[in-house]
Amino acid sequence: MRVHVDEDICQGHTLCAMAAPDVFGLRDEDGHSYVIVTEFTTEVIESAKRAALTCPEQAIVVED
Amino acid sequence: MTDTATCPYEDGRIVVDFDQHSPDYQANMAERSHELRGKCPVTWSEYHGGYWVVTALDEVSAMYKRPDLFSAVKDTVDPEGMFRGIQIPDTQPQVTAGFLEMDPPVQLDFRRVLNPYLSPAAMEKWEPLIRDFTHACIDDVIESGRFDFVDDLVNIVPAILTMAMLGLPLSSWEVYCEPTHAMVYTPPDSPDLPRVQQMGLNMVMDLMGAVAAARDNPRPGIIKALLDAEVNGEPLDDAGIIGTVFLVIGGGFDTTTAFTSSVWRWLAEHPDQKARLLADHALLDSATEEFLRYFSPSQGDARTVTQDCEVAGYKFSKGDRVLLSFAMPNRDPKYFPEPDTVQLDRFPNRHAAFGLGNHRCIGSNIARMQFKTIMWEALQRIPDYAIDYDGTERYATIGVINGNKHMPTVFEPGARRGPGLAETMILWQARLDDEAETEAAAAAGS
Repeated sequence: MRVHVDEDICQGHTLCAMAAPDVFGLRDEDGHSYVIVTEFTTEVIESAKRAALTCPEQAIVVED
Repeated sequence: MTDTATCPYEDGRIVVDFDQHSPDYQANMAERSHELRGKCPVTWSEYHGGYWVVTALDEVSAMYKRPDLFSAVKDTVDPEGMFRGIQIPDTQPQVTAGFLEMDPPVQLDFRRVLNPYLSPAAMEKWEPLIRDFTHACIDDVIESGRFDFVDDLVNIVPAILTMAMLGLPLSSWEVYCEPTHAMVYTPPDSPDLPRVQQMGLNMVMDLMGAVAAARDNPRPGIIKALLDAEVNGEPLDDAGIIGTVFLVIGGGFDTTTAFTSSVWRWLAEHPDQKARLLADHALLDSATEEFLRYFSPSQGDARTVTQDCEVAGYKFSKGDRVLLSFAMPNRDPKYFPEPDTVQLDRFPNRHAAFGLGNHRCIGSNIARMQFKTIMWEALQRIPDYAIDYDGTERYATIGVINGNKHMPTVFEPGARRGPGLAETMILWQARLDDEAETEAAAAAGS
């Protein structure tokens, strides 16, 4: 199980970090998103899936 | 041709009687959105020389992801050229909106310079300024029981913040205020357009002077960053720098003003929802996204098709003009159940209010923070108010920005708390000047 943000698609809308601040962080230089966790527990996966629904660019990839 | 056209079309096109600058669109955006999308996500309007109108979220997303096929570029050298930028019609052929009217990779060179000034991490610095100026504007009117939410508050605070971020004198906000708003609220068929076009040109001339002054006497901020930037060892192009400053002013002044005033009116008309919001600050985040979706302060941008192509099942020809709406896909029932209802806790809410793809509003973080701060502080000071509709005036065209020219508001008079606008301007200018000196001294010493 794994979560990642496709850097080519993310445009820094920041909605994932609002929906799942426990999973996604925002880069200082441009506000684009990255995954801040290293352990992909069931809670993390569920939280990431929820955030993925609200991503305007559909840049979040959840593999479970 | 019209009646037999299919969707997606093989030949011909589904022609609609649609003009985003019309009074009908201004009054009935949601209905037009559903009507057009119901016919086909991609329809054709004969207005303004003819253009495609894209109204569904899937199609708009697919097209904004292909800047190679849908170009934002405006050709200012040849006003008859194919590339006419992000507005339909192009009423200012000699003035560009900076990197908003460029394509990658050059667009990204400019964006990279501005990003650090507009990222979520950079926002913290400005919150006290926004709060202080919001209270200053309110303190100037609180004892009178009446103010114009636009003229006396949200025309002012975002404009002063924009000056601060650019590194220009705070008091110069007034120079740019009227032209900036007039350029977006003046319909393309208005008899006033030549005067407004001239105002736009004058503003560009003013900015050339301001940028030249910044070269001699650089102050921290976005203008200095643009002047200092190098791409492959070369400085950024001068016209691009002027265009970018013009863009930051346009984006910084008008959109937040439009958005905040639309919400102020909506809350007056929905006192139960206003009470719910006031009782629960945590609701402000999702409510902000929902208001962005519902009002879509920036209604959409245009593109020019670079080559014959097919995208999302729709065929386009080289040179076609395309309006890729933000406001209409934001009412797409496929992604937003009950799309014409405001649900303060709506989730998910993958709205397109800040655009999509490589041109996502670079000011979105400051816009959100600014909206939340102004709205929350204003509601704390003036929780009960009524809009005076006699003096309230929406933009005559919302084809560019869904905004308000004036919004007189009446309320129970209250007590002043602190300094007004004039004094606050002096205090903040001194603070920013001190910071600039400290930074210059540090740079000289290093």
